[in-house]
Amino acid sequence: MTTTRRDIFKFAGGSALGALLTPAPWRLITDTALWSENWPGIPRPARGEIRAKFTHCSLCPAGCAVRARCVGEQPVSLAGVRGGLCPFGVTGHQLPYHPARLRQGPVSEAMAAVADAIAKCGPGERVAVLDLRPGRTASWTARRAMAVLKNGWYIAPVQSPVAVDLTKARTVLSLSAPLLERWGTPANVFAVRDGFRLIQADPVESRTAALADLWLPIQPGSEEALALGLAGQLTSAETAAMTGLSELQLASLENELTGNGPALVIDRAMSPAVVALNVKLGGWGRTIVPRAEAPVPPEWKKAAPVTELAALPDRSIRVLLIDESVPGEYLPWDAIEKKLTPGNPLVVVFAWSADGYGRYAKYVLPTPVYPEATDDIPPAIDSPAPCFRIAAPLVAAPAGVVNPSEFLAGVAGLPPADALRDRARAIHQAGRGTLVTYADGKSVPVKEVKPDDFWKALNAGGCWVGQALPPAKMRAQRATFPQPTRALASLTPSPQPLFAILTGAPGPALASPLFTKLYEESDLLLAPNCVALHPQDAARCGVAAGNRALLETPNGKWSVRVLTDSSVRPGVVLAARPEMAGAQGKVVRV
Amino acid sequence: MRGKIIFLAGLAAALGAGWAGFPYAIYTSRPQPVDFSHKVHADKAGAKCEDCHAFRDDGTFAGIPTLDKCAGCHAAAMGTTAAEENFIDQYVTPQREPPWASYARQPENVFFSHAAHVKLGNVKCESCHGALGASDKLPRYRQDRISGYSRLGMSMTDCIACHRQQARADSCLDCHK
Repeated sequence: MTTTRRDIFKFAGGSALGALLTPAPWRLITDTALWSENWPGIPRPARGEIRAKFTHCSLCPAGCAVRARCVGEQPVSLAGVRGGLCPFGVTGHQLPYHPARLRQGPVSEAMAAVADAIAKCGPGERVAVLDLRPGRTASWTARRAMAVLKNGWYIAPVQSPVAVDLTKARTVLSLSAPLLERWGTPANVFAVRDGFRLIQADPVESRTAALADLWLPIQPGSEEALALGLAGQLTSAETAAMTGLSELQLASLENELTGNGPALVIDRAMSPAVVALNVKLGGWGRTIVPRAEAPVPPEWKKAAPVTELAALPDRSIRVLLIDESVPGEYLPWDAIEKKLTPGNPLVVVFAWSADGYGRYAKYVLPTPVYPEATDDIPPAIDSPAPCFRIAAPLVAAPAGVVNPSEFLAGVAGLPPADALRDRARAIHQAGRGTLVTYADGKSVPVKEVKPDDFWKALNAGGCWVGQALPPAKMRAQRATFPQPTRALASLTPSPQPLFAILTGAPGPALASPLFTKLYEESDLLLAPNCVALHPQDAARCGVAAGNRALLETPNGKWSVRVLTDSSVRPGVVLAARPEMAGAQGKVVRV
Repeated sequence: MRGKIIFLAGLAAALGAGWAGFPYAIYTSRPQPVDFSHKVHADKAGAKCEDCHAFRDDGTFAGIPTLDKCAGCHAAAMGTTAAEENFIDQYVTPQREPPWASYARQPENVFFSHAAHVKLGNVKCESCHGALGASDKLPRYRQDRISGYSRLGMSMTDCIACHRQQARADSCLDCHK
């Protein structure tokens, strides 16, 4: 009997069918899946002693205290100490492993290029540092470095000169400030939330508006008009016309602010009109106070002053060093570019990834990222007392990264020094305030702590809290209002529908890849590449949910994904990135 | 007819190999380093599970006891068995940790808390480990050639079945932190 090819196929067919009726193939699939979990390169949870470390989150100016659960030296989970931690903070320990992370950069080459460019600066050409988060000790180093250079300038976004004290307020009027989202220190805000009535004047029904005691839907861009109207700088009729509120609503609001005081009025950045209104309402020294800073060594006082970008002449910056190592307030690149010399400006960016200003820079130098970086966090806007807290590193930074402060000090020839430690010494010498340590929950007057112990405690996640200036020692503040603009913003005729572009509460620029995936795919938060508009407006623009579109504003053009949301006020486009905000813009389908 | 016979022969061969041969071929087998009797320790010494498989002060589970624990009683022979003599000669005297093979080792991506199950949930050891605690002889350690895990280990299906039976949370992140 001969075996034919057909016999072999029949035997194989029978075997294949038989195999399917046994556990073997299914078991092989399971085993292979388990085997693949142990392939080289697959991250494995650390094993070792479990302990807690304390630090402060530097992802946003709130600087929340963090308790890190570590296995050995590896942080495996983060949680808040006093109050919760936002989702960005909870996933912060994943940032060092972000796929966009830079680990190497041409540091020596950049240093030589900067030195060469500084030497070749012509008359009227400037060297400038742009610091996205001023007030840090690193900012002081940058200012000191710029003071050494004869043509050095220190540029930073405008900071509010006042801090607010929510504990003293019984009524809070928020002019589009995301108070219950990401304004101030969330844990502190929620801790005192029951103590005040919140009135949210907001063009869109933001989360804060939804959680407020009263939401007043105002016209986009009319926040300042409302502040001036409440201060009596505009007539009731003018204010009503500009804000879209009725005169009755305005009168009722005014009565509430004066009758249920102390009242506090806030907007995103505590603008001059809002500060003046608070002064007029009698809040100076109570609900708003001058913003205080932790002491610095006396020799630092010779630092370069803080200058706004707009104050610099156009085409004047030859060398621009941008410190993007910590997330801060971004300035539109168009505004920065106007200030660069036309010929051969040198832009160096210190950043953890090349996605920000790095796109426009000649050199992008990698920096440590939270929680690798050692940095201090200036007091948040809702901190009436000065404080000094260090984002102590939880993991070691890779070898190739550069500390912007050290680079700038090197450029300016400042002697090498540990600026954070110098500042801690100055705070200790001042002898005021208390040291709060989270590990044991104790609060000790600084006078009773030795300098070395003070420094150790700060590096172990402790926090120095100073004393707020007593009202008697505050300089009297006059209510000086900016000149009101009575004309309503006129929209230029255009074949395309025009919208006011509003931005919600800005999230930190740094987000864990896992978290980014969750919120961008779930739309729980408006992603940086998305805009939301009312379904009727979307129809007018010829776009639908999920479409790609071009958002055009005076600040630039962005390719965005369209979301439709009936809670967005008609005539408004809601965007996530602050630089997209504008009085008018349009959405064009691509 | 001949074709059918050949097809059925292939079917039968695969069924035989799959049901009878494969379950044995997939595992390697080796004895534990010490001929240990849980029964003897429980009956004669009156030991309870947690006497040797203890929780640390911080609440974490110590797992298989280290030599220090064993040497606390077996620094010198307590009985006359060859197994104990062998254990003392090979491990206690030279102070060498026995290379125990863990039947219950879980994948690296699984977070299992004995404290949560035993202390909070009052789950009995036998619920997961079977009658191992009453056995007179440790079973041979049979290791899956591909996955590397023990045949006696708990699978995810077992965990989910118990959680559902007890109406406990069974979402992914409860175990896969």
